[in-house]
Amino acid sequence: MAAESHSDTEYGRSGEEEPDLDRGPIEAWAARSIKNPDRVYKGLFYTAMIAFLFTTLFPFYWLFMVALTPSGSLQNIILAPSTFDPTLLAQGDLTMGTNPGAFVEIFERLPFHRYMFNSFVIATITTVIVLIVSSLAGYIFGRLRFRGKSPLMLLVLLVSFFPPAAFFLPLNRLFNRNIGVLEPILSDGSLYNTPYAMIIPFSALFMPLSIFILTTFYSQIPDGLEDAARIEGTTRLGALFRVIVPLSAPGVATAGVLTFIAVYNEYFFSRLMTDPGADNWAPIVRGILGYQGQYETLFNLMAAASIVGVLPVAILVVVAQEKIVSGLTAGALKE
Amino acid sequence: MADVTLENITKRYEDVTAVDDMNLDIKHGEFVTFVGPSGCGKSTTMETIAGLTTPTEGKVIIGGRDVTNLPPKDRGISMVFQNIALFPHMDVYENISFGLRLRKYDKDEIDRRVEKAAEVVQLGGMMDRMPDEMSGGQRQRVAIARAIVRNPDVFLMDEPLANLDAKLRVHMRTELQRLHKELDTTIIYVTHDQAEAMTMSDRIAVINAGQLQQIDPPLVCYNEPQNLFVAGFIGSPSMNFVEGRITDNGFNSDDVTIPFNPAAYNLSTGADVTLGVRPEDVFLSRNSREAADPTPPLTAYTDVLEPMGNEIFAYLKFDEEAESDMEKGIMPGQLLISVDPDTAIEEEQEVEVVLDRAKTHLFDTATGNAITHQIAPIDSTGAGGADAEVGSDD
Repeated sequence: MAAESHSDTEYGRSGEEEPDLDRGPIEAWAARSIKNPDRVYKGLFYTAMIAFLFTTLFPFYWLFMVALTPSGSLQNIILAPSTFDPTLLAQGDLTMGTNPGAFVEIFERLPFHRYMFNSFVIATITTVIVLIVSSLAGYIFGRLRFRGKSPLMLLVLLVSFFPPAAFFLPLNRLFNRNIGVLEPILSDGSLYNTPYAMIIPFSALFMPLSIFILTTFYSQIPDGLEDAARIEGTTRLGALFRVIVPLSAPGVATAGVLTFIAVYNEYFFSRLMTDPGADNWAPIVRGILGYQGQYETLFNLMAAASIVGVLPVAILVVVAQEKIVSGLTAGALKE
Repeated sequence: MADVTLENITKRYEDVTAVDDMNLDIKHGEFVTFVGPSGCGKSTTMETIAGLTTPTEGKVIIGGRDVTNLPPKDRGISMVFQNIALFPHMDVYENISFGLRLRKYDKDEIDRRVEKAAEVVQLGGMMDRMPDEMSGGQRQRVAIARAIVRNPDVFLMDEPLANLDAKLRVHMRTELQRLHKELDTTIIYVTHDQAEAMTMSDRIAVINAGQLQQIDPPLVCYNEPQNLFVAGFIGSPSMNFVEGRITDNGFNSDDVTIPFNPAAYNLSTGADVTLGVRPEDVFLSRNSREAADPTPPLTAYTDVLEPMGNEIFAYLKFDEEAESDMEKGIMPGQLLISVDPDTAIEEEQEVEVVLDRAKTHLFDTATGNAITHQIAPIDSTGAGGADAEVGSDD
């Protein structure tokens, strides 16, 4: 039978309705797929998409459920907190047995907003520094011709291959030292426990990636546009910021968002450059871990804090996503 | 007043010399065109004037001011580019007003000037369009408006019409000439299209291999080219060249013999010279439109005919058996002539042709320099005086 249906399939391709109804469902499906492969590709696409979305979004869902579960009943979460009971709504209990209070409690137990502020400020300043400096570098690498350009670019990229841990010891020693020049600005003249202790190394660490992205973008702006801007009355720098940067907006957005997210989520360096405590410019992750006491670990608060902490980045990505997508695929799409 | 003077401009890139000791003097209000083949240094010369490139040696003087080391924005120039180069993220108004806004003009003044510039290039009512919503011709107008809005002393145009289609190009050519009359500024125009150069310019600067070959009004370049390069570059189809040698009684090559008195042009016997004659200065000797001052007839054979409607281009060969290769253009032993469209002429036919002595040029083959732009017959008393040896006084 199988042999028969195979030959039918071949005839069926020529546009005739298959007369043979006498075959199993799998064979029929295979025959249809051969005739119309797009169906299969579509099916595969949706399967992969759903699997991907599930693996990325389910942890968020789980985090949310953990946050809503009252402390102490964590082991009972199945898909919703065990205390979850929609019937309670009828009795006027808007929370339906869950504990949204965790989202308030996180701010009561610790100045979590201050940790967020710390991370936000450090990430913003780093992003600004990285964008300005890597714009200048990207302009040089992308638009000027000079001897030794390629080796220099490789050297810059080499920095990003170093494990950050390699920098820690010397930097930690350096930042803990009292530097006389800084005394008028910083009380004890040391960078430890100040945002600078993080902004400076982060700027250096994330610079190569941004330089690389912006070099690619800036090199694609036609020379004529820069020449036109300079003839019209800008300096080279003016042409960079008035014409080249605006036209490379997707690239700048990509570099900026990648830097911002990386710094905002950073823990390793910040942990080593600050003492615990919001006043010492400790970052978000330090704050989240603050709900872990010596005797109890408030997982619901940690979960709630994680969600709150993720929000600014999520908003940023949603706002900038169009630019980022076009930025990441620009190489492929630019004609 | 904005004269533009280049003094000994040389531009070298690592091992290439793009511009080689260029000296130019352009008067206020002149329309000067730089022509030359691709890579001849004409664009580099213009970039040097614009300040986009610093010369390795030499001085650029605009309006009596040495601007060699000034940035482009301080030179009082504006420029229209080959790829038009409108800022894609700005609308028409923002594009035109870009330079004025940078110079912090006040709003009313900017509005007034932008409006006037848009009027000159006939761009009314498009102020809020983006460049990608406009046609090629409209974009070019915006680019020109952007250039004129600042009232520059000197206008630089780098192949501004190269990216337009043929019909629009002819139209814009007239527009630019009109603009030149209206604005009364110096215009320096770069092109590799010699038709543009011939029709628009007051003077043409022919450049090759980074060196200025000739700077003269278009018809002077056409009728009295200073060397082989200018002779071959100006004019389409280009001039015929025949390499030969001076003998006691004139010019001789395998195929062409023109009798004249070499001493009249200070030529010694045995000198290698190249004879040049334009297609329209060669005539069929049986044709009614004969040359005023014909040479003795030469026998040739027609090869390919190209009827253009208003004229016929006929490729002649001196050797009946010679195979022609059209892809290589005119080969030695061939002659391209232009004949009247009504002429009865067929392919593979024996014809007799004469050259017009008054329009026949001689060049020194080794240096390429022009020797004369007309060849007097032996019995003439003109052109430097007849030599007693062969001349006979009337």
